[in-house]
Amino acid sequence: MATVLIDGTEIEIGDGERLNAIEAAARAGVSIPYYCWHPGLSVVGSCRMCLVEAGTRDAAGRIQMGPKLVPACNTLVRDGTVLVTQSEKVQQARAMVEEGLLLRHPIDCPICDKAGECLLQDYYFEYGQADGRRADIRPFTSRRRDLGDVALFVDRCILCTRCVRFVREVSGTNELLVSGRATGEEIDVFPGFPLANKLSGNVVDLCPVGALADKDFLYRQRVWFMRSHPGVCTRCASGCSIWIDENQDRIHRIRPRENPHVNRWWICNDGRYDYPHVHNPARLVGARQRKGGDTRELDFTGLAGQLRAALRQAGRLGAVLSPFLTLQEAYLLAGTIRQLDPQALLALGPVPLAGEDERYPGGFTISKEKCPNRFGVERILGRMAGGVIRFDHFVEQVAQGAIAGAWVSGGYRQGWIDEATAAKFEQLRLLVVQDLFPSPLSQRATYELGGAAFAERDGSYVNRQHRLQSVAWAIRPPAGVRTEGSILWELAGRAGLYDAAATLRELAAEIPFFHPALGTIPETGLDLLVNQIA
Amino acid sequence: MKSDDKSIKWVEEPPLGLAGRSYVPLLVGGITTTLKHLAGPKMTVESPEQRHAIVDPLGYRGVHRLNRDAQGRVKCVACFLCATACPAHCIDIVAAESPWPDREKYPESFTIDELRCIFCGMCEEACPVDAIELTSLYDLSGKSREEMIFDKAKLLSVYDQTKDAEPMRSAQADRATDSACPDSGERGEEPI
Amino acid sequence: MYLVIESLIKIGVIIGGLMGAAAYLVLVERRVAAWIQDRRGPNRVGIPLTEIRLFGLGQPIADGVKFIFKEEFVPGHVDRLLYVAAPMVMFVAATVLFAAIPFGTVDLGIAGWAPINLVVVPGLDVGIIYIVAVSSIAVYGVLLGSWASNNKYAFFGGVRSAAQLISYEIPLGVAILGVVLASGSLRLEAIVEAQAETGVWNVLTQPLGFLVFLVASFAESGRLPFDLAESEQELVGGFHTEYSGIKLMMYLVAEYLHMIAGSFLIVLLFLGGWHFWGLTGDGPVAGIGVALVRIAVFLAKVLAVILFFMIARWSWPRFRFDQLMGLAWKVMLPLGLVNLVGVAVWIEYLRAPLAVSGLPERLVMAAAGWLLLGVAWLAAMAAAPSARDNRPDLSLVARYRDSREAR
Ligand code: SF4
Ligand code: SF4
Ligand code: SF4
Ligand code: SF4
Ligand code: FES
Repeated sequence: MATVLIDGTEIEIGDGERLNAIEAAARAGVSIPYYCWHPGLSVVGSCRMCLVEAGTRDAAGRIQMGPKLVPACNTLVRDGTVLVTQSEKVQQARAMVEEGLLLRHPIDCPICDKAGECLLQDYYFEYGQADGRRADIRPFTSRRRDLGDVALFVDRCILCTRCVRFVREVSGTNELLVSGRATGEEIDVFPGFPLANKLSGNVVDLCPVGALADKDFLYRQRVWFMRSHPGVCTRCASGCSIWIDENQDRIHRIRPRENPHVNRWWICNDGRYDYPHVHNPARLVGARQRKGGDTRELDFTGLAGQLRAALRQAGRLGAVLSPFLTLQEAYLLAGTIRQLDPQALLALGPVPLAGEDERYPGGFTISKEKCPNRFGVERILGRMAGGVIRFDHFVEQVAQGAIAGAWVSGGYRQGWIDEATAAKFEQLRLLVVQDLFPSPLSQRATYELGGAAFAERDGSYVNRQHRLQSVAWAIRPPAGVRTEGSILWELAGRAGLYDAAATLRELAAEIPFFHPALGTIPETGLDLLVNQIA
Repeated sequence: MKSDDKSIKWVEEPPLGLAGRSYVPLLVGGITTTLKHLAGPKMTVESPEQRHAIVDPLGYRGVHRLNRDAQGRVKCVACFLCATACPAHCIDIVAAESPWPDREKYPESFTIDELRCIFCGMCEEACPVDAIELTSLYDLSGKSREEMIFDKAKLLSVYDQTKDAEPMRSAQADRATDSACPDSGERGEEPI
Repeated sequence: MYLVIESLIKIGVIIGGLMGAAAYLVLVERRVAAWIQDRRGPNRVGIPLTEIRLFGLGQPIADGVKFIFKEEFVPGHVDRLLYVAAPMVMFVAATVLFAAIPFGTVDLGIAGWAPINLVVVPGLDVGIIYIVAVSSIAVYGVLLGSWASNNKYAFFGGVRSAAQLISYEIPLGVAILGVVLASGSLRLEAIVEAQAETGVWNVLTQPLGFLVFLVASFAESGRLPFDLAESEQELVGGFHTEYSGIKLMMYLVAEYLHMIAGSFLIVLLFLGGWHFWGLTGDGPVAGIGVALVRIAVFLAKVLAVILFFMIARWSWPRFRFDQLMGLAWKVMLPLGLVNLVGVAVWIEYLRAPLAVSGLPERLVMAAAGWLLLGVAWLAAMAAAPSARDNRPDLSLVARYRDSREAR
């Protein structure tokens, strides 16, 4: 046990913990400003924003302060370390670092996308000098340079080199470098080798100022207009934790949400730029019924009752549980279909696969499985259907006429099912399809329902490392769409509004594998396997 | 606030004198004031035959205009500060990369719902480049709601209409501060 | 047959006159209000499609057309039947009131024709009782409308209004009793004729009764300073918050008619009705010329009272509700009773000795009346508290909170 004294507060640090002064101070509730340090990157100690006074306290309680200020990011605390972070000396040092950084900064905040979440702005207000001495220089426009995946506003850069370290240490692709010397230092790429890797979007989040700009997000929104909602990426089975930044039910960007157990500080570009499908005008909206050649638009009021009646009359039932469903939705669907027909055939929807898992030197992995919840849905099927039946088998059964009515849940991107497969469903008496996009299958459905996109759902997913994460909706679905959860809730004959938390508790109580989820689910998720014994 | 809150100071009503209790002085006072005004001069300006005299057209908060820069392009840099400051949420901007090499960001579309606007002038205060200003035009009217939603072209045309009578703020400020300390100079003239 | 035609004509004249009067009095009120507030008021609407303005005389027509064609919105939460019925009740009650207002009697001088009594229901022996009774029906209009609206502001307005109307009916009645006692009849014609005959209006002999009646009729017609029922600053619109279109118009017109009726009563009971010294003669029946003069005098007096109503609106601030009730029960009712007792004593004990003593009877009568007013006023003044403790009882607040916490 090590005892550290920070601004007069003593904190205990566990044995074997390696904390630098910034992290230790954070535990004491003291924040030390920093630019170049990042918990996920190596320490360079180049920006000098984090300078503090450090010293030691010996066993007799005497305190000996060091002669110079030291960078907190590069100072490991150990037993007896004493830190002073608020002295006049420290404050002066911070103000001077700020002044130095701003000396050649364009200060074009009005057109800088970072404004509002820019560390340079924030720290200037908190630690900068009250009146600037830069009277002679007027704001100017920053030079813009195309780095490949992202754009660089050269003059805004404060040369913290976070971006450079990222491409060396985490993505391992080494595209970025610092060129020039002294005042001529700039971030750049080699000609012909642009920044192009699947993690490149992270450098924009890493950049403490507005130097690196996301071309997708550039000039789209001011950050203060958006609200951030915690979410889980559904692009692959890794289930990265994300922030969904939204304004008036329109997603404008996706950012990584720190989660040490899943994605640490990063997400891949696939997930980051996956949101446009949510606002794709081609999405399936509304509910309609097809009878013979007629199509009739349906109202959602009373729809669940109508569907229930139709399912009851259909005869032998089957259901396809898509790996895009949340646990709650899969549970409600399986339960309802089984209740209507105890012999019903429950199958797992097709699992989209692409290539192999991609691993990066920093430990980041993009799964080959392009769906969020295969693991969870399989567990539910394993309990409620006695085993996992593949989609191919289901299609076979349909083709053989063993099933008369089927409920197919989707949530896939376009093109998940081909004409030939879909044609086999034609002989069904009743086919209910709820999907995100129209497909050959949905066009053959007796009841075709628009489905919710990932940001519109309430529920829980289990990622490939059996970690369960619960999320709430970030945006409302477009007009004419009701989420799977709310339709299935009503179909199950339950009163009131769809309640994901209650459903999770219910299924956790029923299915032993999910027992750990009976307690509270932390923000960073819950490892179901590790917690099995508990 | 609860009525037994300690911070409330209870002030005693001044007791009524005999005159007050007889109510007569109050009755007389009330009716005298009324009669005085009944015959007094009228304040009404018979618009539209007569026009209001605007004392300070530059300080008046009427219809908005979007100023142009030296090359006649919209001066706004689409920073959204006006939209952020606007208490009525009546400014809608769509920003984009500018088509001009010397400028980075510009408003692809810029609309103000003049019906929703409360003419508080916060947008003018917020603008870092003096691109949006309130003119002294006060009698705007329209036949439909749509007509009262001013777009970029219309706002620029208001500038063309009023630029001679009401010079841009930054131009005035530059003239005023040429000899004064440089620090207080407006930053707007620089093409940002 | 003849009687029916005569009545129909009278009804037509009265209703037409009233509606026109109400419409144009609104214009008068708006313009008077504007002048008092240093504005000009509606002065633009004249003849449609022309530039002719006529001082805004077209305004009431435009207003009426607007009211009629406006969307008549019925909120979903109202009690439909009562909601629709309430303004009608109010409107009808306010209109039928005028059936008993006498304009005098005219002898057309055509042989074989009896003199025509210029009132819709001639020979109504209980005219004044009828008017007071019918005008109280308005309470139902207010109360039903506010209840049916299912809106808390409307309900507050309705409850206030009901309390106010019922409270002020008592001083109103007491003040009327004084006049009735003096004239010895409940017939309005008789009351007017009594004043015309002596040439002494009741206001001169019973100023105290007049005062009580004036205040009470202000309160009864719900006008400032007693418009607690619809005080906009507190209650949006009071009992007609949820009304719009023609139903709202019925309410507004009915309120106006109440004010007009109040003015008629004031003139009839206290200001000599159609009588004016030297102009109208004093016999009950008049020839056609004199009858016209009488009607003109009568209407002029009424108009003057209405103008007073309008000016009063901008002169004195609204009472608080407890003050309003206090005024009715603690001031106006005692003053009314004093007046009544005074009149009774006068008639029973003093009139006969006075006639014997040979003093100028009318002068003494008037002097006595004003003396009574002065004394009563002074007494009321002395009895009024010089300050009221309006602070909430903090011990009550604390006790309330304790009891809630205990729960
Ligand atoms: S990086 Fe952007 S927001 Fe930050 S200070 Fe510079 S211009 Fe302003
Ligand atoms: S571009 Fe951003 S992250 Fe990279 S060195 Fe400059 S400031 Fe740091
Ligand atoms: S004047 Fe005020 S309300 Fe109108 S646009 Fe500007 S900020 Fe908004
Ligand atoms: S504040 Fe000025 S520059 Fe910024 S968006 Fe508004 S008008 Fe344009
Ligand atoms: S954060 Fe420590 S020197 Fe940059």
